[in-house]
Amino acid sequence: MPRQCSETCLELLALELVRAYGRQSRVPPAAAVDAIGFRTGRQLAERYTANRARLGEPLEVIKFVCKEFWMEVFRKQVDNLRTNHRGTFVLKDNTFRWLAKLSVDPAPPAGAAATRAVASVAELARDYLVLPCALVRGALAHLGVNAAVTAEAAVPPACEFTVTIKPR
Amino acid sequence: METINAEIFTLTYGSMVRQLIADLEDISAVNKQLDEMGYNIGIRLIDEFLAKSKTGKCGDFRETVDRVAKVGFRMFLNTTAAVTNWNAEGTECSLILEDNPLTDFVELPEGCQNLVYCNVLCGVIRGALEQVSINTECSFVRDVLRGSDVSELRLKLLSLNKEEYPFKDDD
Amino acid sequence: MVAYNIYFFNRQGTCLYYYEWHRPKSVRQGAGTSADDQKMMFGLFFSLKTFAAAMDPRQDNKSLGAPLRIGEACTFHSFCTNNYKLHFLESPSGLKIVLNTGPDAGDLRDHLNYIYGAIYVECVLKNPAYTPGRPFSCELFTARLHHYIRSLGL
Repeated sequence: MPRQCSETCLELLALELVRAYGRQSRVPPAAAVDAIGFRTGRQLAERYTANRARLGEPLEVIKFVCKEFWMEVFRKQVDNLRTNHRGTFVLKDNTFRWLAKLSVDPAPPAGAAATRAVASVAELARDYLVLPCALVRGALAHLGVNAAVTAEAAVPPACEFTVTIKPR
Repeated sequence: METINAEIFTLTYGSMVRQLIADLEDISAVNKQLDEMGYNIGIRLIDEFLAKSKTGKCGDFRETVDRVAKVGFRMFLNTTAAVTNWNAEGTECSLILEDNPLTDFVELPEGCQNLVYCNVLCGVIRGALEQVSINTECSFVRDVLRGSDVSELRLKLLSLNKEEYPFKDDD
Repeated sequence: MVAYNIYFFNRQGTCLYYYEWHRPKSVRQGAGTSADDQKMMFGLFFSLKTFAAAMDPRQDNKSLGAPLRIGEACTFHSFCTNNYKLHFLESPSGLKIVLNTGPDAGDLRDHLNYIYGAIYVECVLKNPAYTPGRPFSCELFTARLHHYIRSLGL
């Protein structure tokens, strides 16, 4: 059994690292958080595939990410995978664990203020999705898939990750 | 208590330290940042510790440090620290960490000999204790990543805050 | 059994959260304003704590009004009137939870502990959008809290 630690450690570290980079203006925060995630994603993918056969086609790699990688890192599998068969994949996680605690004060019932409030939750979610997106991108990169990864959570914790494989 | 494979945590931490070194360049600024981040984590962490360990008020500083070393480290990092080297007044002591998940597989890169890689732990302890009215100073005096066989944190009690009525009586 | 209202305070006296499920007598007829109501509530249990410690027949008598140090073990946890029961929980970190219920409520200490450890810790302190020390009213917290209170039959 690999060494364990409390999930709180990771939760609070991820929370604080985004907040800390957000508080400073020396470097663009998203780029820095992305770099952190990318490096970590590579290292994790390396560990998770150390004792298995190489994965081949991008689809195989994406499926690995949706199942084993997601399970290890986000403690469940992706709920839904769609593709346009031309290099774009959409991974849907209905209860994305890393957004599970993100919550804001209740929005006013209707009107312009309500729309603004909903927009601001999605924006906040975006800040906290940089790290997971980069983890996924890093993992894919290690597995030979060079892709762009973005995510949207219009209604957290439901979340959609879009993986767009870059043409060679 | 939900547990995870520690390597996601330790790899993310390591990657973050590397990024901080690249962004801040000055190693003492990195050490300071790690401490500050630890502090911000500690002030959130303390309530989970108190609630899950059902800790009521501790009688004195000694008892408090014991709980941190045995219960706290176990609860979050799945390891324990030994408490030794108390001074005569009972206000200073050392926490010895033989086994620290944060430093698994870590090697300090060139030019980083002044880096206090685990400085976040000092901040966490300081922040958490401040929330229970105990003001402390915490720093590493021995570090496995810099040649020692164990890591040693020196914890110093600075002052205790009294419970004060926060409002002016004539308000 | 009915739950009237709940207050969360921090050590600095800031009311972090307040909710009333049922408060037949309006705040205006009582303390006057919400702010005064909260201040009075804070002052009440602050005094009750010092009083309880001073009156403790089993320990060295502290004089009334002497500031409490950490480690003062005696704390009150509820009082009852003919109309309501006030339940109080204070953590060593200074977080205070006050819950007012009907007078026939039992000992709710374990439940207050649950609210502290499983609802406040998880939904507030681990919420990236939350800054410690500030009042909160995030939806996840309120949803869980109300659900829990309802599940107690309150």
